[in-house]
Amino acid sequence: MGELEMEKHVRYILTIEKKKDDFVSLVIEHLRINGAYWGLTTLDLLGKIETIDQDEVVSWVMKCQDESGGFAGNIGHDPHILYTLSAVQILALLDKLDVLDIDKVSNYVAGLQNEDGSFSGDIWGEVDTRFSYIAICCLSILRRLEKINVEKAVDFVVRCKNLDGGFGSTPGGESHAGQIFCCVGALALTGSLHHIDRDLLGWWLCERQVKSGGLNGRPEKLPDVCYSWWVLSSLVMIDRVHWIDKEKLARFILDCQDKENGGISDRPDDAVDVFHTYFGVAGLSLLEYPGVKAIDPAYALPVDVVNKIIFKK
Amino acid sequence: MIMGEAGSQENSSRLLMQLEHILGSDPLIDEVGFIHPTQLMALNGGSTGSLDVSAHGSQHSSDHVVETDILQPNSSVFWIKDHKLAISTQALLPLHNAAKHAFTTALRQYKMLHNICTKTDRLVDETVSNRTLASENLPESEVMKHSKSLLLLSCDFGSAWNARKLVLSKNQQLSLFMDELLLSALILSYSPKSDFAWTHRRWVIKTISGKCPNMQEIVEKESKLVENIAEKLKMNYRAWCHRCWLIPYMAKEQMLSELTKSKQWAELHVADNSCFHYRRKLMLRIIEDSCSRQLPEFCFNHVPDLYQMWKEELDWDETLIRRFIGREALWVHRRFLSQCWIKHFVSDLQGAFCHSKNHPGISHDVHSFMYNEMQLFHACLTVLDDEFEDGQAQATLAAAYILWVSKQIPQSQGIKLEDMLRELGGLKTLLNKLCPFRAQLWDGLMS
Repeated sequence: MGELEMEKHVRYILTIEKKKDDFVSLVIEHLRINGAYWGLTTLDLLGKIETIDQDEVVSWVMKCQDESGGFAGNIGHDPHILYTLSAVQILALLDKLDVLDIDKVSNYVAGLQNEDGSFSGDIWGEVDTRFSYIAICCLSILRRLEKINVEKAVDFVVRCKNLDGGFGSTPGGESHAGQIFCCVGALALTGSLHHIDRDLLGWWLCERQVKSGGLNGRPEKLPDVCYSWWVLSSLVMIDRVHWIDKEKLARFILDCQDKENGGISDRPDDAVDVFHTYFGVAGLSLLEYPGVKAIDPAYALPVDVVNKIIFKK
Repeated sequence: MIMGEAGSQENSSRLLMQLEHILGSDPLIDEVGFIHPTQLMALNGGSTGSLDVSAHGSQHSSDHVVETDILQPNSSVFWIKDHKLAISTQALLPLHNAAKHAFTTALRQYKMLHNICTKTDRLVDETVSNRTLASENLPESEVMKHSKSLLLLSCDFGSAWNARKLVLSKNQQLSLFMDELLLSALILSYSPKSDFAWTHRRWVIKTISGKCPNMQEIVEKESKLVENIAEKLKMNYRAWCHRCWLIPYMAKEQMLSELTKSKQWAELHVADNSCFHYRRKLMLRIIEDSCSRQLPEFCFNHVPDLYQMWKEELDWDETLIRRFIGREALWVHRRFLSQCWIKHFVSDLQGAFCHSKNHPGISHDVHSFMYNEMQLFHACLTVLDDEFEDGQAQATLAAAYILWVSKQIPQSQGIKLEDMLRELGGLKTLLNKLCPFRAQLWDGLMS
């Protein structure tokens, strides 16, 4: 096992930003703001956030805002709650939340809550527990949680709990590590973790670790670096992270690095991307890998950023 | 070099016109593929390698001929036969740019016109909405045409899906909503995970439900579509979520028929946990529908059927477990079945089924249930003798399952699990031996 190639990962993230004109870049242009969040958070975790032009980022992010208050994934696209959280997280990361009209953004988010407590992703009404987490996380960062009915929001998330202890995208949906992160995160941020049977959910999450040390997202699936984040952060939040083999997991993540050109992939020897690079580094952060800044498992932001914004430390 | 700098935008627009002409002339296209130019050439039997559309028809002088020729698909870019469309990968970038540009322009015009109409005169607005979208060159038909091209090339372009919803929500023609299901199905046929395409289907179904006379048929078709797509890409979370989402639209007979159909599918895909989850959801819904708390008598009458359904599922799952060694999804399913069995059918526990003890032929004895599960467990341990990894996996899954069941049975039932396992040196020792890399988990669960 090698070390974490920090400098190469930083260089990798700085170069992907420059590729804009091939077909692959075009078909993901609608979620560029998510990509920006993954890339920038990784840079910050690696202590290199100052290498980018922060003003340029902020001004681009603000151009993605729609008149409704929500953010789009890129300039000229439609707003969605998925992109709104990334925008807010980026501004939090850069300590530039003051450029926002906080009430406008939080009204947009709060306006997406439905009668049953769930959240729609945008005006077209699709419901998903991902959106519940996003709304709660976004409003927590903006310190406007009182704009929604928190009790109902929690009730809806609890309704998505399955008999196996996990959570799905809607009531009765199959348990999935990504959705579990969202539901546990939503419950953690609202002080409602007592709704979780920690041993039961911890068991389900730990069974995601396979022989290679990597984690999968559901039974019978292959391990994938992104679940190092979804599963691990959930385990941290419910205080069961000591139930998995951390050393084997760290080794799996490190084996997924491109040691020549930087970046991390889903599995060893696959092609790297910014999404998996972020989740790999974030996973190592939760595993307290030396040299990587600590990340908050619920806010998905570096702990020092959360301390500054939420706790005003 | 894809094409010359000069006139490249014009070329792209022509390619887009050709694509839209193809899509317009054949609404039944059911497959789209992006293939390498050489493959496309082989399909068309031609030898041209240039994307320069102006090369075609350059010898014609009549305007009319030139115009028809422009719409004639460029054989180095498109291939179409039997409702199957292939597009050269070399043309994707210019086509995407042209489609995006055309879509953005059309949407801007549409929104402008709509705003003017709503501001000035409601009647004008209604006249516009009631015109059929088939009429050419109306802003809404332009939006529909260009968004379709764009989505075929880039299925996660959310704004294009939204623009279609916007146009449709101002037009109540059912056939147009049906067209949306076709477009989404076409895109899912090659992008089976596209969240936007699945979301769009749900929006369409939600919008037409209540207005549509043949909802049952639509739900059946949706379910079949998920099955086809699940066949192409295993454990497709979005696809199976969509199938689960359909359940509230189903009557009991339809749910029972879904159970029968998915049983055959599951037997052929024993590792697909999503299919088993779908069955779990159906079974829970059937219980819920049969046993609303307000009507205990109604529930009482259904108990024998429900008991039978659960018993058959347990037996079927056991058969599969014994046949397919080391499949986690089968054991996950068994955990669920046992959990509900103990909750609902074990007589001396409080629950919705408390009246059911009066039914003859229904066994409520937790001891005989556990006896059967232990038999299965021991049978699975003997598989350990084989040298394959599957045997090891089977034994681990069986032991973890016994631990699971033991946690479902209340202490008061007097089941002394550790007594049953003494000869094996206890469950924890066994699990640590079978699956040492989860030692911390076993320790956490059993300390």
